[in-house]
Amino acid sequence: MRFVEEYRDPDLARRLAAEIAHVASADRTVKLMEVCGGHTHTIYRHGIEDLLPRTVDLVHGPGCPVCVIPMGRLDDAIALAEDEGVVLATFGDMLRVPGGRGSLLEAQARGADVRVVYSPLDALRIARERPDREVVFFAVGFETTAPSTALTLLRARAEGVGNFSVFANHVLVMPAIRAILQASDLELDGFIGPGHVSTVIGTAVYGPVASDYGRPLVVSGFEPLDVLQSVLMVLRQLAEGRAEIENQYTRVVRAEGNPRALAAIDETMEVRETFEWRGLGWIPESALRLREAFAAHDAERRFPLAGERVEDPKACQCGEVLRGAIKPWECKVFGTACTPERPIGTCMVSAEGACAAYYAYGRLARREPAGV
Amino acid sequence: MEDREREVLERIERRRRRPPRLRDELVTLAHGAGGKASRALVESVFLEALRNPLLAPLGDAAVLDAPAGSRLAMTTDTFVVTPRAFPGGDIGALAVSGTVNDLAMAGGRPLALSASFVIEEGVAVAELAAIARSMAAAAAEAEVPVAAGDTKVVERGGADGVYVTTAGVGAVPAGVDLDPGRIRAGDRVLLSGTLADHGMAIMLARGDLDIEADIRSDAQPLYDLVAALIAAVPAGAVRALRDPTRGGLAAVANEFALAAGVGIVLEEAALPVRPDVAGACELLGIDPLHVANEGKLLAVVAPGAADEALAALRAHPRGADAALVGEVRSEPPGMVVLDTAFGGARVVDLLVGNPLPRIC
Amino acid sequence: MTGRPGGEACITCGDVALAVAVVAVPDPRPAVIEHGGAREAVATELVGAVAVGDVLLCHAGVALERVEAAT
Repeated sequence: MRFVEEYRDPDLARRLAAEIAHVASADRTVKLMEVCGGHTHTIYRHGIEDLLPRTVDLVHGPGCPVCVIPMGRLDDAIALAEDEGVVLATFGDMLRVPGGRGSLLEAQARGADVRVVYSPLDALRIARERPDREVVFFAVGFETTAPSTALTLLRARAEGVGNFSVFANHVLVMPAIRAILQASDLELDGFIGPGHVSTVIGTAVYGPVASDYGRPLVVSGFEPLDVLQSVLMVLRQLAEGRAEIENQYTRVVRAEGNPRALAAIDETMEVRETFEWRGLGWIPESALRLREAFAAHDAERRFPLAGERVEDPKACQCGEVLRGAIKPWECKVFGTACTPERPIGTCMVSAEGACAAYYAYGRLARREPAGV
Repeated sequence: MEDREREVLERIERRRRRPPRLRDELVTLAHGAGGKASRALVESVFLEALRNPLLAPLGDAAVLDAPAGSRLAMTTDTFVVTPRAFPGGDIGALAVSGTVNDLAMAGGRPLALSASFVIEEGVAVAELAAIARSMAAAAAEAEVPVAAGDTKVVERGGADGVYVTTAGVGAVPAGVDLDPGRIRAGDRVLLSGTLADHGMAIMLARGDLDIEADIRSDAQPLYDLVAALIAAVPAGAVRALRDPTRGGLAAVANEFALAAGVGIVLEEAALPVRPDVAGACELLGIDPLHVANEGKLLAVVAPGAADEALAALRAHPRGADAALVGEVRSEPPGMVVLDTAFGGARVVDLLVGNPLPRIC
Repeated sequence: MTGRPGGEACITCGDVALAVAVVAVPDPRPAVIEHGGAREAVATELVGAVAVGDVLLCHAGVALERVEAAT
């Protein structure tokens, strides 16, 4: 597709890599966190780390909304699925995430009606087609996905689809970034900011990263050239002693975001006082729930949920990985007790999780990067 | 005996000799009981479509002639694909080509197939007849008889529609020794055509998604392609063949790498994928490397024979889109690496979950 | 080609959205976009009126934003 190919040109990539090598420090290692799971994906898929000098270290952040769902919330989703009158519609990413009592996939094997959908609109369609069942959509995702849930709720109400409800677990990116900045065991120099989340929320939101914490943040697109260019922009800021919020993804991200999407979210959902993030603990004002006006479509109000807090397994060090404090291979159970086939924590389950990504990719010895 | 009585008895005898007519529209448990209804089903549906000298006697076993000097290859497979009919084929055609291809990957020319059916009561006889005709057509194309069969009918809920289990016997000529253990560093990796067509055709045919594309399954028998490939290169130049079905190219490449203790490096830019298949995969977030193919083969050949091998594949109608997609190295052993179009590299591992169940 | 370490479909996680072109705007159904020959229907309430040829950023069956031409 012509549109995309412009952002994957290998020659441009080599030139950017050379620029990066030129601007990067020769001796001091710079740690950049890419917050978003999509950037982790691009980096691994295209082998971008092979193009960066060894003094630029990319740390994978908690931008994996699947990774951060606490076990107790997953248990609630499984309980919903096990209700005989319920069809639980979920994104495929959630199927193998381990809760306290197994995963949705295992619940499905025991007879629970779990359906994989690619959009909440698909879940609404199932509800229309099966008026005899209660359809609950397991809503996860950052602000990129929340507008889809919001649209679906508005349609459900407009069309009077009474047997459709949402189990809301949408989380917000900026509170997570703030929590990471406040963590004491961190040494991050800058951020590659989320791309599609920013399409919805805009770029001004990230202001405090620069103004309060003195770190540069560049909102980045997802094509390999986007990521390379964003790395270059952050490195330039560091070299010049600047700390600003910059936007590399100008073709879809505007400073004010998408007002229609924000309005849809605002009409249907409100910010929770606090929410537990797996591995990061309780973060205030970091997640969404349905507004009172949509109570009829709120699974948390319509179904009795245990709402129990389940401790992560003692061996699990997902939190430290999610904060970027340790690398996947530094986790004591990485590759031994915790593998993609039998995961203990979500970092290993999710395809975008740092551990799963490293397990697949990291076994390959890094080649000497170009331009160094 | 009275003339009249004799006439009636003769009429009854004539009726008994005629094949029983099947008037039923739906398969019932009676059709699985082994009695008249079973015989009616087998004769009107299966024998009618698959008619051949080995099958016709409907004996307990078919006796085959084994070609002198050949070893025998044997394989078995079960097909549970849903939906049972999809663009490019159906469960019947898939059962034949899938089994023929397993034999072909061992260098076996197909001698005979068997097909067993487990049918849920309530399935339409017309659908079974269509499946049988489809199998017959595929068998004719692959030049192999369906020599034996069986049918069982289970109560509603005991199976989902129709399951087909096959077995196949093939003749492997002397001197043909295809074994991943023979793969060594320096060998080249060839793919006979485009990736992910079958799996995506099934995915879209399920109708759960709002995505439409004109993607057809690539199911086809490959023995003639294999024969052409082997004939075009010196003896022993083809180390191993495998068809990338469930698990896709990633699974097969990993099997080869592990079996031979070598590293396999694939070139992303060289992998043939149709634009609409690539588009559908990207829309769904699925990697074509892990999607099933039912009419393709992966071949590892000696480096000196790679050009002839590629030319032979491309010259054959079933291999027109063949490409040289990678090479074998000693490092990293047991692993498959993809050189990305971008200049980086990543590991290609086996899938852990099952995003595309029941595609074959 | 999409390549994920686990190889599994992970649209939410990856914050995946695609820039795709509108090929049809049937009324009253949502707009139809095309990507490499595969067509999908997407909801367009969040981007306003669309016309054939517009390029939209789509995620989970919903168009999130218009894509401006590359600079």
